[in-house]
Amino acid sequence: MAVEAVAYMDPAGLKAIGAGLAVGLTGLASGIAERDIGSAAIGAMAENESLFGKGLILTVIPETIVIFGLVVALLIS
Amino acid sequence: MLKPKPMSRAVIVGHKDIMEATVEAIHGSNLFHLEDYNEDGSGLKLGRPFKNAGEVSKKLIQLRSISSFLGVKKESMPKKKETTVINELDSMLDQLDIEVSTKTEKKSELDSRLKELETLKKDISPFSAIPIDMELYHNYESIKVFAGTVKENIGPAISQVTSTYEMEYDQSTGTVVLFIKKEDEAKISEILSNFEFREIRIPQISGTPSTLIADITREEEGIQKQITSLETDISSIKDKYSEFILASEELLTIESEKAEAPVKIATSEHTFIIDGWIPDDQFATLERTIESATSGRAFVSKQKITNADTDIIPIEYDNPKITQPFQEIMDLYARPKYKEIDPTSLIFISFPLFYGMILGDIGYALILLALALGIKKMVKSDAVKPLMNVLIYCQISTLIFGVLYGEFLGFPLASLHTDHGIIPGLIAGFETITLFNSPVGGEVITYPIHRTHIVMTMIIATALIGSIHVNCGYIVGFINERRNHGFAAAMFEKGSWLVVELGIILGVLGYANIAPTEIIGIIVFLIGFVMLIKGEGAQGIVELPSLLSNALSYTRLIAVGLSSIYIASTVNLIAFEMILPQGGIVAVIGAIIVFIFGHALNTVLSIIAPGLHALRLQYVEFFGKFYEGGGRKYNPFGYIRKYTEE
Repeated sequence: MAVEAVAYMDPAGLKAIGAGLAVGLTGLASGIAERDIGSAAIGAMAENESLFGKGLILTVIPETIVIFGLVVALLIS
Repeated sequence: MLKPKPMSRAVIVGHKDIMEATVEAIHGSNLFHLEDYNEDGSGLKLGRPFKNAGEVSKKLIQLRSISSFLGVKKESMPKKKETTVINELDSMLDQLDIEVSTKTEKKSELDSRLKELETLKKDISPFSAIPIDMELYHNYESIKVFAGTVKENIGPAISQVTSTYEMEYDQSTGTVVLFIKKEDEAKISEILSNFEFREIRIPQISGTPSTLIADITREEEGIQKQITSLETDISSIKDKYSEFILASEELLTIESEKAEAPVKIATSEHTFIIDGWIPDDQFATLERTIESATSGRAFVSKQKITNADTDIIPIEYDNPKITQPFQEIMDLYARPKYKEIDPTSLIFISFPLFYGMILGDIGYALILLALALGIKKMVKSDAVKPLMNVLIYCQISTLIFGVLYGEFLGFPLASLHTDHGIIPGLIAGFETITLFNSPVGGEVITYPIHRTHIVMTMIIATALIGSIHVNCGYIVGFINERRNHGFAAAMFEKGSWLVVELGIILGVLGYANIAPTEIIGIIVFLIGFVMLIKGEGAQGIVELPSLLSNALSYTRLIAVGLSSIYIASTVNLIAFEMILPQGGIVAVIGAIIVFIFGHALNTVLSIIAPGLHALRLQYVEFFGKFYEGGGRKYNPFGYIRKYTEE
């Protein structure tokens, strides 16, 4: 009788993949969002240096996306 | 402490005769924020600069150009008496000008000659291997001269066309010079172009190239020597005069500020009116100073501050010395407005607290503390010092949290017993003490707190800390609103948020069967919701979910911290468990290198990541709830003397 090959997936591996996707994709998302804001903020700062604080804040706002990703990854693993 | 310094609006009026004395007195006191006058058709005109203005600014420009030529740097020195500086100013300035201008002329002459020689050398260098006098390249009637580079020897190709030619070819540089009869020019040109001939300009000069180059090099060396000796002269002039230059530049700057002051002041034919701001507690001082300077002929009066004024009142912080470094962080965002709470003292607590919570490592705290203290000691700059102080506060907080977490460069200090075995600690015999069970995730709270093992608990805890912080923001906002627009507005705009939150909490308690019913919660929530719509309008509804996202945003306190631990422990893992066991001296050195560079990298990240995230929590989550900002900086008319004294 032929033995059917059964591929077992280790749940821990799936968790790790999930966690990696959570961090990686949200990291990309933050990066894409911050790219535009950051370059605009630098442009604004070149005109008026006192905008540094506001520029910094606006630039790090999408940072929350990757933080949430990181939290999700921590919860999964 | 929580408010900017109280200010008064002061107006000084007097006859033009005493204008100079008044300006002198105001400038000397360095207390009065001068409000520029704009001509508004009221008949008052802007004043004209005092008559010494032109002369002073001329001298100042002369001095500054000398100073920049000599490269005089700002340095500490004993203060000079103003009178001595004034007495010697004119003679010294002339003397300095003569000495420096001859040197500058000489130096620029030498520089340009050096440049000329360099170009000549560059032109001659292709011919260096060809022993023909440079004179012989020119002035022929029936001979054509080609000079240039080719890709290979063209001799064979030329000899096929003509036998009457003279050629020199330098194999190494590919330079060729070719003397042919004029009538062969066309044919030879064609051959040359096949060999990728590129013409070189022949310099108009006589002598063989090698001797010429030797001569040029000799002359260059001579000039170089002269320039060096000139530079030593210049630096000795600089040493001799730099104190004088710094002192007199300061004096002239002060004089010029005073001389130009009338262009900011309103004047009529015979009178002047100076308008501006002064800290409330200094008003009497100003009054006295002006009275004694003008023997009571100028009239100083305190004006009532109107509501329209509050936006333009210059803001001077009024904080205890310990919290002052954080004013720098405030300025990075915006100065508070006059009627707003100045949150410097609040972020003095929360910023280092969050920074410490994120980093929480004894090793990094000590490294960064040493770094900050070192930089503070070495760099005298006024801009760097407050930032280093902020860093020091943050490291103290990090140290405390490091002890709480029991971490040293990513190593746990205490050993921990888990289901998967024992994780050894850095300190032998230091066992983790179990305190109590966490209400979430079946985790156990211990001392030291092993952050990596109680992630769920920490996420909930940080979100709770976030809620508290955000609510502090609402309360500060409530106080601001009440002060500016009354209790009702404050209640609707900021208080409504608190009511909404209360409703949610009651509802959740009811749902979880801790409170008897969730109906009360829902009712309270709806009341808060209506208040919110009345206070903030549709914007309030849009912002409602931000309650959740703001609180969750504080989970970065654990998330960023964990990423820092994982980097550190990965470095440790690579160094001590992967490289070191290979054995041998190479493995030891490799492990040390990985350890040092890995932790150096993580140290840099340890300033940036926790710093930026802690800052962001202040700026976005906290300030967003109450802070308006946009106050003008209090910038008194005057000068802080560094190099001179009266």
